[in-house]
Amino acid sequence: MITKRPLIYWVRTSSMKLQGLLLVVIAFNVVVRVFPLEMQKKIVNEAIGLKKLDLLVWYCAFYLAAVLIASGLKFIINWVQTHLGQQTLARLRKELYAHILTLPLSFFRRTSSGMVVSSLVTEVVAAGELVGQAVAVPVNNILTLLAFAGYMFYLNPLLAAISIGIYPIVIFVVPKLQARSNRANKMRVDVTRDLSSKIGETISGIHEVQGNASYRIENRKYGQFVDRLFEVRIVWNLYKQGIKVLNNLFQNLGPFILFIVGGYLAIHGRFDLGALVAFLSAYEKLYDPWKELMDFYQTYQDATTGYQRLMEYFDVEPEHAIEPLDREPYTLQGDIHAQDLAFSVAGGIQLLKQVNLDLNPGEQLALVGFSGSGKSTLAQCISQLYRYTGGSVQIDGREVADLTKMDLAHSMGIVAQSPYIFDGTIRENLRYSCEALLRDEDAGKHERLPTLDEMIEVIQQVGLFVDVLRFGLNTILPVNREAELVAKIIRMRENFQARFGRELSAYVEFFDEQRYLDFSSVAANLTFGSPNRDEFAPDRLAESSYFLRFLEEAQLEHPLVNLGRELATQFLDIVGDLPPDEVFFQESPITPGELDVYKALISRIKQTRLHELAEDDRRLLLRLALRFVPGVHKLTTLPEILRNLILDGRFLFMDKIQKDHPGALSFYRMTEYIHSQTILDNILFGKTTSDHPSAQERISQSIIHLLIEEDLLERIVEIGMDFRVGTKGDRLSGGQRQKLAIARVFLKGPPILIMDEATSALDNASQKRIQTLLETKWKGRSTLISVVHRLDTIKGYDKVAVMKAGKILEMGSYQELIAKKGVLYELVHGAKAAAQ
Amino acid sequence: MNSSMEPKQPLSEYQANLEALVQLPLFAGLPLEPLKLLAYLCKRETYQPGEIIFHEYEVDPNAYYLIEGRAVLITDGNGEVEYTEFGERDFLGGMSLFCHLKRLLSLKAQTRVVCLVLSREKFQKVLERFPEISQRMIQAIFLSILAWEERLLREHVADCDQCRRRIGVSLV
Repeated sequence: MITKRPLIYWVRTSSMKLQGLLLVVIAFNVVVRVFPLEMQKKIVNEAIGLKKLDLLVWYCAFYLAAVLIASGLKFIINWVQTHLGQQTLARLRKELYAHILTLPLSFFRRTSSGMVVSSLVTEVVAAGELVGQAVAVPVNNILTLLAFAGYMFYLNPLLAAISIGIYPIVIFVVPKLQARSNRANKMRVDVTRDLSSKIGETISGIHEVQGNASYRIENRKYGQFVDRLFEVRIVWNLYKQGIKVLNNLFQNLGPFILFIVGGYLAIHGRFDLGALVAFLSAYEKLYDPWKELMDFYQTYQDATTGYQRLMEYFDVEPEHAIEPLDREPYTLQGDIHAQDLAFSVAGGIQLLKQVNLDLNPGEQLALVGFSGSGKSTLAQCISQLYRYTGGSVQIDGREVADLTKMDLAHSMGIVAQSPYIFDGTIRENLRYSCEALLRDEDAGKHERLPTLDEMIEVIQQVGLFVDVLRFGLNTILPVNREAELVAKIIRMRENFQARFGRELSAYVEFFDEQRYLDFSSVAANLTFGSPNRDEFAPDRLAESSYFLRFLEEAQLEHPLVNLGRELATQFLDIVGDLPPDEVFFQESPITPGELDVYKALISRIKQTRLHELAEDDRRLLLRLALRFVPGVHKLTTLPEILRNLILDGRFLFMDKIQKDHPGALSFYRMTEYIHSQTILDNILFGKTTSDHPSAQERISQSIIHLLIEEDLLERIVEIGMDFRVGTKGDRLSGGQRQKLAIARVFLKGPPILIMDEATSALDNASQKRIQTLLETKWKGRSTLISVVHRLDTIKGYDKVAVMKAGKILEMGSYQELIAKKGVLYELVHGAKAAAQ
Repeated sequence: MNSSMEPKQPLSEYQANLEALVQLPLFAGLPLEPLKLLAYLCKRETYQPGEIIFHEYEVDPNAYYLIEGRAVLITDGNGEVEYTEFGERDFLGGMSLFCHLKRLLSLKAQTRVVCLVLSREKFQKVLERFPEISQRMIQAIFLSILAWEERLLREHVADCDQCRRRIGVSLV
């Protein structure tokens, strides 16, 4: 298991080729680093001393070459080191993630997702990068140290011994100072914490302070903490600086010894000048590898403790094996047998006690009882989400605890109480359960996944069809494709106008050249057409110099910039400091990605008059104003004057552009497809004015009617399958999410179905629809265990089990239990009726 | 700033919503920031006379604030029975903002009804940002349950023995 591996494991298993390469480069590097010292000596002694110019040039050239090569090698070392480190980091991230996903659910109950995020994102970094350095840094620096020291001994053993002799003193003194500095630092932290809590206390009780005018008292109390902090910080800084000064002192003490001893020797002719210069350089260079080693030691300490803490945190065994190693996953029939099943959690609390259960393949069981009676827990123990602690559950005679996750996934479908939908398209989410069964080598092979027809069938069954159809209708088709579809849609438009136009006029605002369109953007109101050139695309209009000139001419620029400013100000006032969430942007012209831009803009121009705004700022605001749809963006209203100006502007613009750029725009005409609008808007030749369910329903009904005539229904649904549901599926309603979760399990069609209050968020009709489906299509086909929250749905089940306090009180068919007048009877008819 | 100096412009829907919500007892004492967000997120819906606003037995995730018109609780079954009537400034369904609840009765618009509708999903988004407001709102809901039963006890229970035996909702 990954959490049992020591940090050294990652070094051992890192790329040996790269580590080997690293060692070779390091060896070269050490030699190349000593070489210039020898050159120095020769330059001074032979070239300068003997006044030979040619030797000077040669030696200097060698020197330069050595320095260049050393830099190059240093770069290679860093590069290989980084590569190793990042490679390990990536491996660590992947393997730890894979491990975390398999941990038992109970682990995630006590762990916040934030903790997992920070572990995988930040905390693994130090360990990963250390692995990159683990070989290179110590080897490189120790070798360099030895090489320089060796060279010094080669020059003059006595001098070398004396100057290196200082280092042990440093090794002895600095750690002591460091310890004191650490103590001072801890004190600083403590005092800072006291200070913070004092500030917090005063601020939350500020009304009391102001009410009593107790400013003096509070200032005094606060002052005491600040003074204390002042003292502590001085001590702490002194130690910190002391260490630096001491290091420096020793660093500089070296040359002093060198000069006094070396100078003495040189005067007496026992040491030549060149050697002295080389010695001095070598001594100074000794410091770098030394310091790097010290730093590495610190990094090593931090990384290992961090790594250990991290691994201990996730050191939990998965409760079940993931995949069978030596066989294919079993195909189970769905014969479920539980004997004295028990489940207790920490603290000895028994959630399930001696549960006995027998289900033949295809039988359906409803679990009922009060909440807390253990219904869900029982379902979760059978489906391996929890590992039961006593008794046994067998499926087809095999103990559930011994099956792997893959065995169950192949034969079981679970719809959880609050199903989770991941970001992606409807299609991807429908296939999620099926795709999970594919092996890595089959990933992406669509022929192994459900077909479009199968998916359409299942969304029809769960009642998601109209929703997906609506997603399809709300899609904007790419330009110049789907010519056939486009032709049919235009035909539908005519039929729609003829047959439903009058009836639905309350819910649709038709594109009308003579009227201001409240449910279209200001841009659409001005251009009244869809662009054929990028310059006139709605979101680029604010950058088009042609369009800007037009706005000036129509006297619209100023009021629109003002409108944009009002929109941004108003919106930021509401959601400005909150973390962006999809929901907050649904009725705003600002998109989540632009939030920061507008936040910065508005705070910058708060005090600026409209006419003083910079060109770029005006355009940003203009862009918002052009997106403004009065019927949807309810933050502000469109003043009557501006509305009329825009309407006048429309005709001016139409004249102008037909003259200057004929063909740049296609005006909204009954006979032409509008590529900038959704399929629905094209059929309606207008915009819907209400998202009220009853209005939506009526429009959908009429559209479906027409779609069937044109044989387009499935095509549009197919387009709707590509609708992206958003993170956590937050662009879907709770009911849609639940239907999608049911659909993806039905699509897998497993022999065992576990449904844990799977229809709780659905309306009556949808609930009934799913229930009927279970009773007709799935009865006899899949063994069903359903945790039921509404008693009116249980009549169709083969068996009903009533649970209380972790036990099954009674079990049998609905009729049997009602006839018995036991607990179920009481639940259905109320306690009073049972007593009579 | 003196508002009469400014050119008159009709309130935007958001501003009107905010004005309405500020006066609501359920939101009394809440800071302005969450109220602004709620005003922004709630929807103004119009129902025609006779239209059903929510159905009995359905799990309804919305809370309603009546701005205009009258509505009455009914059972649809065989033969409509009318119960409590609601009018302007009445707030319904606050508990649905916190959990899944089915409706015991249907609500029917008697006149044209305009109301602010706030869904649980949106409300929960606001709670994520301002968790501290739930405490106050739950308190307000509990207090209104208490006040309701107190009124019932004082005004009606004396004439109805059956009802007396059922008192105790505020003790849940």
